[in-house]
Amino acid sequence: MLFNSIDFVFFFIIVTTGYFLLPQKYRWILLLAASCYFYMAFVPVYILILGFTIVIDYFAGIYIEKTEGKNRKLLLICSLIANIGVLVVFKYYNFLNESFGYVLNDMGYKNPIPYLSILLPIGLSFHTFQAMSYTIEVYRGNQKAEKHFGIYSLYVMFYPQLVAGPIERPQNILHQMHEEHKFDYARVVSGLQLMLWGFFKKLVVADRLSIYVNSVYSHPDLHNGSSVAIASFFFAVQIYCDFSGYSDMAIGCARVMGFDLMINFRRPYFAKSISEFWGRWHISLSTWFRDYLYIPLGGNRVARYRVYLNLMVVFIVSGIWHGANYTFIVWGILHGFYTLSGTIFKPYGQQLAESSGINQKVLNVFNILFNLLIVTFAWIFFRAATIGDAFSLIRNLKSIGAAPFTGDGISNMAHCILAILLLFIIEYKMEYLSEKFNLITDNRIWVRWGSTIAFLFIILLFGVFSGGQFIYFQF
Amino acid sequence: MSQVSKFLRNLLFFLIIVVIVDSLLGYSLQTIYFSQKKGQFAQTTYSVDSTHQDVLIFGSSRAVRHYSPSIISKALHLSCYNVGRDGQMIPYYAALQETIFKRYKPKLVILDINPWELSPGEEKYEKLSILFPYCRQHPELTSYMSNSSSPWEKYKLLSRTYPYNSSLFILGYNTIFAGKVQEDDNGYVPLPGQMSQAALNDYNERVKNSSENEGDESTVIDERALAYYEQFLRNTDKANIKTYVVISPMPLKQATNYNIRKFMQVASKFRNVTFLNYSIDPKYNYQYAKFADIFHLNKQGSEEFTNDLIQQIK
Repeated sequence: MLFNSIDFVFFFIIVTTGYFLLPQKYRWILLLAASCYFYMAFVPVYILILGFTIVIDYFAGIYIEKTEGKNRKLLLICSLIANIGVLVVFKYYNFLNESFGYVLNDMGYKNPIPYLSILLPIGLSFHTFQAMSYTIEVYRGNQKAEKHFGIYSLYVMFYPQLVAGPIERPQNILHQMHEEHKFDYARVVSGLQLMLWGFFKKLVVADRLSIYVNSVYSHPDLHNGSSVAIASFFFAVQIYCDFSGYSDMAIGCARVMGFDLMINFRRPYFAKSISEFWGRWHISLSTWFRDYLYIPLGGNRVARYRVYLNLMVVFIVSGIWHGANYTFIVWGILHGFYTLSGTIFKPYGQQLAESSGINQKVLNVFNILFNLLIVTFAWIFFRAATIGDAFSLIRNLKSIGAAPFTGDGISNMAHCILAILLLFIIEYKMEYLSEKFNLITDNRIWVRWGSTIAFLFIILLFGVFSGGQFIYFQF
Repeated sequence: MSQVSKFLRNLLFFLIIVVIVDSLLGYSLQTIYFSQKKGQFAQTTYSVDSTHQDVLIFGSSRAVRHYSPSIISKALHLSCYNVGRDGQMIPYYAALQETIFKRYKPKLVILDINPWELSPGEEKYEKLSILFPYCRQHPELTSYMSNSSSPWEKYKLLSRTYPYNSSLFILGYNTIFAGKVQEDDNGYVPLPGQMSQAALNDYNERVKNSSENEGDESTVIDERALAYYEQFLRNTDKANIKTYVVISPMPLKQATNYNIRKFMQVASKFRNVTFLNYSIDPKYNYQYAKFADIFHLNKQGSEEFTNDLIQQIK
């Protein structure tokens, strides 16, 4: 079930009403049943995979807590193998098999291993990573094992963040599932406002831009450099609004019921460096990799070359996490390269800026634009269907300046520009003028309601309501 | 007052205001929309509500740019109107035909089709949303909507503002700059200018390099679109209307692929239908001076093509 569907509106109203009507001790049952229904609205049978990892990790958590010594580690490894095993089978098996087939083919042999005819379970990487963070935290002693099977299942399956995060940590969310959340007017309104903002990002910006992006990226050879450049920039904005829009809806939806989910995005395109970008983009995943991969690899406390190697490993794994395709690996490598270059050249850049006496504000604008440019370039690989398509698109960039393709006419392009402009104004206000022009939270009711209604009708008039899938569901 | 009561009371007031704003805004947009004198919206309104001509031309932007009704009228001594619409595909032609045929039956129909219209994809159904403003007056159109992108589409139409979704820019432009909007000639809007040889060569090169060429023989087609195409031809057959299904000229020679063969196969089921394929006509292929861009003939090319077509119809 998609957040941007009428089905979800009914689902949300029914579940939330039921949630507040039920006594606390029964609420987990309602939320768990609703989460199962939500997940099964995609491909019902895949709930069995979730069930499998839930059972494994539930018992692993309890036994890890009870056990001492080497067996404790063994239990953790078993749990991680089970989770990663599910990921490998359902997400990477065919990719690995295909790659193996290419190697054999080059050597003149035929690949004897059969392909699996399976669909990727929706949001598999998200809930698997969330489940893994639980067993790791129990192993580290930061989290007590959850004894209530229903609550633990809800931790993995909580519907607002089940299919596209934020990837929660048990310390943040598990205890909230035991607490009673009373109906709080301010929280409910704030949650609904955040959902509305998420709808704006998804329907007015992301789905609008996707029309142009899809036209260009589905015919990579046929478009000139100008069209490729515009489509790539549009995709940079689209993927941000698509994913952060989903996160806002998820956080807002949970907030209405009294749950606090972690912030997943902080206006990443205002970042002045790649490392800052990763502190603002998909925060729940980047901190996951930091806590469970980068730091265990040695983090910053090892020799310089190992730090660089660790960073590269993290970005490559991050690329692989996104999908079973070489395009994602190249995307990860590019970001690893950007981060390493940023780290290595940072002191020289600072020296150069100081000696040239360049105005700090101008420098900030330059850094933001440069960062946006290189991130957008990397998105070409992320969005292209194959490495070949990505290189075709990059090759076509040489004809930049030619008249661009305008899609179905200038109207759609005008909608795209308006959507980006509105997004920029609102995000700029959030980033730099957070205390001013807070129309939706203004003390005067007519300003508050007027701006909310205006926002609602902007969505109604400029949104794309064809029910576009969220990009990150596929991961 | 408890927090829940406060919330429910405010929610009720909020919803009442939303309904009032929706009605007022929707009514205003409806008034502006249906008072358009020129441009795409005016042309579609005329197509849906007022056409009475003997010859009707259905199709996409290639129909709008390629068929001159005044040349056809003069040659055949029949009145003619071009009901084509930019960016549309088979489902639109079928929906529009049903609405028009409820009112009257023309004497001759020309259907301009494109090989890519049978390719799978939801886009062609989502584009039907341009007919939303007409759904209240023509409920038969709603069935095309609910068949398309979402089963909830007919409920969304309870809103009076929603039918004008995504049309505000064109409405605004056509209202503010009414003098600059190009006047159509019975639905025909020729394109000025001509394509350069360099642009044609560049396009040719990119098509040659395209991996999509390998997919030309794909047999995966949109069966629903094919059914609408067949429905269109069946309706003209039932009404005993002479019908021409035409693939109009293209700058590059179009291989007769599976989609085209499918179009021909369905057309051959009906005795009133003649299939004409100009996409392989050397008179137009590679003749960049006759084209305005890679998809459309220019004014000179479209007039020449209309005259050529008349020779087939006469």
